Amino acid sequence: MTSNQQTAGRALAGAGPSRSKRRKWLDQEGRWGLLFVSPYLIHFIVFVAGPLAASLYFSLSDYDMLNPPKWTGLDNYARLLHDPLFWKSLWNTLYFVILFVPSQAFLALLLAVALNRKLKGLKLFRMAHFIPVISSWTVILYVADSVFNPRFGFANAFLTRIGLDPQRWLQDEQLVIPLLVLIAVWKGIGYMMVIYLAGLQSVPGDLYEAADIDGAGAVRKFRAITLPLISPTTFLVIVLSTISTFQAFEQIYVLTGGAGGITAAGGPNNASLVLMLYLYREGFAFMRMGYASALAWVLFTILFVLTLLQLRLQGRWVHYD
Amino acid sequence: MRRKTAAGIIGWTVVLISSLVMLVPFLTTLFNSLKTYKEYTAVPPKWIPETFQWSNYSEVLKLGNFGAYTMNSFIVALLSVAGALLSCSLVGYAFARLRFPLKNALFVMVLGTMMIPPVVIIIPHFIIFNELNLLDTLTPLWVIEWLAQPFGIFLMRQAFMNIPKEYEESAKMEGCNPFQIYWRVCMPMALPTLATLAIFTFMGKWNEILAPVIYLTTNEKYTLPIGILSLGGQWFGNEQYMVAAALLSLLPILAVFLFAEKYFVQNHVSSGIK
Repeated sequence: MTSNQQTAGRALAGAGPSRSKRRKWLDQEGRWGLLFVSPYLIHFIVFVAGPLAASLYFSLSDYDMLNPPKWTGLDNYARLLHDPLFWKSLWNTLYFVILFVPSQAFLALLLAVALNRKLKGLKLFRMAHFIPVISSWTVILYVADSVFNPRFGFANAFLTRIGLDPQRWLQDEQLVIPLLVLIAVWKGIGYMMVIYLAGLQSVPGDLYEAADIDGAGAVRKFRAITLPLISPTTFLVIVLSTISTFQAFEQIYVLTGGAGGITAAGGPNNASLVLMLYLYREGFAFMRMGYASALAWVLFTILFVLTLLQLRLQGRWVHYD
Repeated sequence: MRRKTAAGIIGWTVVLISSLVMLVPFLTTLFNSLKTYKEYTAVPPKWIPETFQWSNYSEVLKLGNFGAYTMNSFIVALLSVAGALLSCSLVGYAFARLRFPLKNALFVMVLGTMMIPPVVIIIPHFIIFNELNLLDTLTPLWVIEWLAQPFGIFLMRQAFMNIPKEYEESAKMEGCNPFQIYWRVCMPMALPTLATLAIFTFMGKWNEILAPVIYLTTNEKYTLPIGILSLGGQWFGNEQYMVAAALLSLLPILAVFLFAEKYFVQNHVSSGIK
């Protein structure tokens, strides 16, 4: 790819024989190129590299934004180890990720397989699944509330009708995370489904025809053809959704906090306090920027290790032709 | 053959049920937004209100800072779109077509930044904007978009690489400089990808919650998603207004979506697979 670009660049520069022999380090095209990429250069230096270094430094200091940061070494990290709320938020996050990632990946694949055919009105069905995707979490709050409001939602009306006890749903310590997962799967499934649809379209149709001749059933075809050939997409979906779910913030902030904002979010009794929510609370509500930065680096490290692990494991089950 | 129809029926059923699961809660929400407070809090709930209280919507437009939130959301989203289109196409064009020092190293950096979770740099960003005295303004919400986000760069680079080089060569012969070639020849040909980038930037900014929550403190400066949440206190005892407000905030995105559905899908295909 890179050599192609270089050839492309050379062709564009109208590379005469004298030019290609001895080129100045920074010719006219090079200056244009640097000018073109300068927005990203500024971005990288000011908003990526600098902040990365700063946040590592903050994580090793005591910093409240009013006074200059005071170096404390690994203190913040040591405090994290003895902080029950950190462990609780870590556990909540893991619980959320473990419930969410596989169930969404599986259901999205199922849906994509069902939609991967010539159906009348296919576009309408696809659009139906996209409406939650394009909604903000604030919209989703009221949609979810119409069903799961403990007082006047339809879920409790249904439970009462069939003679079961009404539930407190998002205000129930046991139910809050599974329900948040359910809502998140519902909201995001259209997005994942489209990624899968693109993957399915690359599976050659003659494989299925051959399987038809051999008399293979739908389930067998799915397991023997679709699943292995779609595995690169599955891998991508799982990696992407693991990374983003570990950083879940908005959905939990809105759905558990509602109008109450950060002081109400994460409840009941911190049962839905995830790492990002805890980080936000420590950093922006209590101004413990050092401690919050340490939390950020722990989260970053977990994500880094998980991504490496997933890359290592992909050889075992991902099929590339 | 019979097997095929059986699979077809199962597929149809899955699609149909799943579509209902997607749409019915939205319909319920729409009905909720048209109820009186008494109907809204009735136990057991009634699905369809007796008469549609369209006045709930006009109350939303009158009450509170709803107009200001809408304005703020538009400012942030539109400035972000303008910035993303310009900066990502410039940088993307350079990576696709120009030859300059450290090009490959820089491109690796672009890919690398995509992997960095935003969580590690949120706090320094906050401190930067604090130093610049830009807290509680809309600027932090859109200004980064003018500095080319990695995903957009990647998308635009891909689009420019797919344009046949002959077009640019003839412009080059006529003595156009790289900026003229980029602007006059390549930008018009990259319009579909620009549309995709515009739509996704708009949607992302319109729905964003984390950044507004961090940067904004004055109520009149809130964007729609956090503004609506903040109305809870004002409309205590009239919560059906909040449902109407939330649905109103969905309208612009919904309009864009219905108008340009194919660009939504195109983005997923190119971001997901390539």
